[in-house]
Amino acid sequence: MRKASRREDRAMLDNSQSAIDLVEAQEKIAEALKVPVYTVSDFLAVCNQTLEYSFSTTVIVGEVASFKVNQGRWVFFDLKDEESTVSCFLPAWELRTSLEDGMKVVVKGVPKVTKWGKFSLTVKQVRPMGEGSLKKALEMLRRKLAAEGLFDPARKRELPRDLSRIGVISSTQAAGYADFCKILNARWGGLTVLTAHTQVQGLDAPDQIIRALRYFNERSDVEVIAIIRGGGSADDLAVFNDEKLVREIAASKIPVITGIGHEVDESLADLAADVRASTPSNVAEMLTPDKKAEIKRIERMVSGLSLRISNEIEACREQAKLKLPDAKIMQVIADMRESIFEWRQRMNNRMSDESRGMRTATTSSRSRLVDFMRREMERRQKDLLAQKKILAVVNPDDTLKKGYAIVSGDLSEGNVVKITTFRKTLEAQIKKVKERRQNA
Amino acid sequence: MPKNEKNSKKKLSEKMSELEKMVDWFYSDEFSLDDAEEKYRKAMELSAEIENDLDNLENKIEVINRDFSDGASI
Repeated sequence: MRKASRREDRAMLDNSQSAIDLVEAQEKIAEALKVPVYTVSDFLAVCNQTLEYSFSTTVIVGEVASFKVNQGRWVFFDLKDEESTVSCFLPAWELRTSLEDGMKVVVKGVPKVTKWGKFSLTVKQVRPMGEGSLKKALEMLRRKLAAEGLFDPARKRELPRDLSRIGVISSTQAAGYADFCKILNARWGGLTVLTAHTQVQGLDAPDQIIRALRYFNERSDVEVIAIIRGGGSADDLAVFNDEKLVREIAASKIPVITGIGHEVDESLADLAADVRASTPSNVAEMLTPDKKAEIKRIERMVSGLSLRISNEIEACREQAKLKLPDAKIMQVIADMRESIFEWRQRMNNRMSDESRGMRTATTSSRSRLVDFMRREMERRQKDLLAQKKILAVVNPDDTLKKGYAIVSGDLSEGNVVKITTFRKTLEAQIKKVKERRQNA
Repeated sequence: MPKNEKNSKKKLSEKMSELEKMVDWFYSDEFSLDDAEEKYRKAMELSAEIENDLDNLENKIEVINRDFSDGASI
């Protein structure tokens, strides 16, 4: 025991002596050669500093090989072309797309030499590129997120109606954004649109869109968030298949509508959104009613009212004809004539009011209605005159005045009947009844 | 001057629901010829106001003064 302890003490002294010797040797060599002399650790630190300074934003394209995930935490793969290979590394949580061997990718990262002297690229971002790789990555990620329930229809929320504030995430230079604004302004008014200007393509776009989503969710003063981007290549639109972005959309407290690319371009962002519009213009159409259609609907509503009123007047007149005895019809008609006269007076006054101040566009529909009402009243007045004439013709007094008499009662032999002349009423007994031959 | 205040929007939606209620009255059991003319006049005036609002209200489009390329790593 004592011997062993002595050996350890001796080894420590030897090591300390070695370290001192090394430093002394380093200083002597540096002095002799007039150049810096490093320890291994210092040398690697200087190398890494130089690499980071020279290649701070290195972007490399290549093909993935030897892809593996260790312990679910570390991702390793080689990036290669026909002649060369570079090792790549990143933490698993920073991988925002699905990868597999053979995929073409674009990688952004910082080169580094490890303490074991191995050169590798610490990856900051990696995206598939090229149609085949994009499709494959998209399909793999779609399956993964679908399995987690991110695209379930039950998660989708309806967009609120009667919007007043809309949050938009787009590039303000994008054609799609201009289309959205144009259609929105043509369809509806009175809205406040807050636009977060972000990149909508390129490696940095997903993070910018995520920041904008978080910004709107923190503000909480918009009722819906619209993510807009016009058409583009599969590479351009790959931004919207970024795993973190898709998850952020699904987690948004505020409902999200997407209008990305064209009808045929369906991204994972579209699947995670509450509502997917086919284009940026379609986003504007889905968020707002069309004011032209709304004006027509209002015109239809109010134009039906005059018809409703005239139908009611007609119904009243018919009812009066059926229920009232002949003697009262004249009175009813006189009342109606009076009410229609008053009605016409009021309408005339109203037309005068309108002609003073109303706008031409908005009065056109109403003046049509007023014309309709006026024509309707004129027609009814003509009806009234015609009915008055008919009643005058059949008025019994007018007939009696001409010397005719009305005989009423049972016209059988022996019965007593009532005879009415213009001035007198008589009772007479029937002595004989004969059939009269008519000239017809 | 653009009229884009929240109030204007709310007023527009309120006006529209008010008009719908007015129109409903004409088809309800409460309808009477005695009141029809007055209600009709009000409905016409309100519809003219709504059309006017729809024609003249403008949207306010504002770009947020913030750099989304700069921020904490995601």
